[in-house]
Amino acid sequence: MLTRRHRLLFLAPLFLILIPFLFIPALLGLIASFTNYAPYQKTDLHAVGLANYAHILADPDFRTAIRNSALFTIVTVTLELSIGLLIAVALRRPFRGRSLVRLLLLLPWLISPIANGVMWHFLFNTENGLINFLPAVLGLPRPPSPLNSGLALLAAMSIEIWHQTPLVSFLALPGLLTIPSAQWDQAALEGLSSFAQMRHIVLPRLRLLLLTIGLLLIGNALGTSESISILTGGGPGSETMTPGLYSYRQAFQAYDWTGGATAAWLITATLLIVGVGYLVSVRHLRVPQ
Amino acid sequence: MNPTSRRRRFPVRGIFLVCVLSVGLIPILWTLLASLNIRPNDVSSPPTWLAYPSLDQYQEIGIAEPHFANELLTGVELAAATTLFTVSVAFLAAYSLARSRFRGREWVVQSCLIIASLPVIAYLIPLSNLLDSFRLSDTFVGITLAETALYAPLAVYVLFGYVQGLPIEAEEAAWLDGARPLETLRQIVLPAAAPGLAATAIIVFVLSWNQVLIPLLLATHIRTVPVALIDFFTFERELDWPTAAAALIAALFPIGAFVALAHRQLEKFTLALTDQTDL
Repeated sequence: MLTRRHRLLFLAPLFLILIPFLFIPALLGLIASFTNYAPYQKTDLHAVGLANYAHILADPDFRTAIRNSALFTIVTVTLELSIGLLIAVALRRPFRGRSLVRLLLLLPWLISPIANGVMWHFLFNTENGLINFLPAVLGLPRPPSPLNSGLALLAAMSIEIWHQTPLVSFLALPGLLTIPSAQWDQAALEGLSSFAQMRHIVLPRLRLLLLTIGLLLIGNALGTSESISILTGGGPGSETMTPGLYSYRQAFQAYDWTGGATAAWLITATLLIVGVGYLVSVRHLRVPQ
Repeated sequence: MNPTSRRRRFPVRGIFLVCVLSVGLIPILWTLLASLNIRPNDVSSPPTWLAYPSLDQYQEIGIAEPHFANELLTGVELAAATTLFTVSVAFLAAYSLARSRFRGREWVVQSCLIIASLPVIAYLIPLSNLLDSFRLSDTFVGITLAETALYAPLAVYVLFGYVQGLPIEAEEAAWLDGARPLETLRQIVLPAAAPGLAATAIIVFVLSWNQVLIPLLLATHIRTVPVALIDFFTFERELDWPTAAAALIAALFPIGAFVALAHRQLEKFTLALTDQTDL
């Protein structure tokens, strides 16, 4: 076996990178959220209690951002997991060209969040846009732009689902293929409906994998900022504001460093709560039935 | 194929897959056509196509963004350095964890996944100040280290599952022959783990290639493709859609080609391994 010394030696590089470039910044964010610290400003550093939290929570833009983020995360993650799983199930049995279909279906995920925002901004546009083409062919009146008031958050959620679902189906397929074919044959003999097959064969086998993918998707959804900043810029008004975009704006454009860091820390706190839920679920699911 | 699975005449699966492929690919095809200056004319009814196919839009990229070729190169260099660094560091850590037995190991591995899901924006603001004080902001090394810290936890989680699935007998034989840990690692574990390492490397490369907040906020001179794409889209510059479309396609092409070439390896990437381990 490896000696204890070697095990620590092999772990050291990871921690040498994570501590200064991830743990300390996250910790600094936490500490800064309770003080009046702001870089490049020579002021007396002192604790301010919850004043920073009160300050950003009093901002209607940030309250909108929290509401949007909750809705955005729940809707996109649920739909990404379910649609992605359905696609993987559809790809389960081999057919000619399956490998190519799998590769083509991954394409949307290869587009960067920025490019995704740029692309859909133009596709949702009223001139030369994709969204107007079909109604025009059918002779229907021009639909309102999805980036208008009332629809913009829905548009932002749609492009996120378009972007992330391919990854879910890509990751779920190898898991599905580990289900022994005898189990599918048995289900077919018993005449189980597709729904029953999903419930009694797919979900028991894939629930840990789906939990893992779900956690990554939740983290991603909570941090959403790049695609929205291009697609709508957080607008109209602050209709599509997210905590990530808000903290970015505060820190780098409004020069409210503390407000930005506090808003960002709330993303970390939310993720840690989700993480505890994840640990509890893993423990629960691992218990043999 | 047994007869019961063909019971349904109506090809539900085929129709579903065609729909999914259409939704996934039509937006990209639409962008590809626009980049070749083939666009619909929505003004007339029914709409007609304005087709003046040309590659001029791709030349326009160079006018709008004179250093686009450089930015492509920087993107490749940065993603390659990040990938190499991330996979090396994560492989060492994953191997160490996979071959240790201590209480709380499961907790450490699962924590890696939780850390991996933390979005970079959550700690980016303090990180940018910290990098300033290390004098690493706007340096290639600083950006690489920041991206390594971002992607290493995911790589550890994936590689841990992979290494743990490898048989330990060959390693034990090497120990008995008196091989040192690094020798065993290089000559026995590394070849056996190569497919998993390659698949992880591809994923990290794609993530790093598409990463925008780190190069955008921690550097000004190190510009990657996604950072350049922001410039293609500012309201002041009023760039037209075909040029933006050409830039989008030019940004997608290298990574698309890379993934297509590496497809076989990528199919080995899986997060499902936690099912089989006895954590």
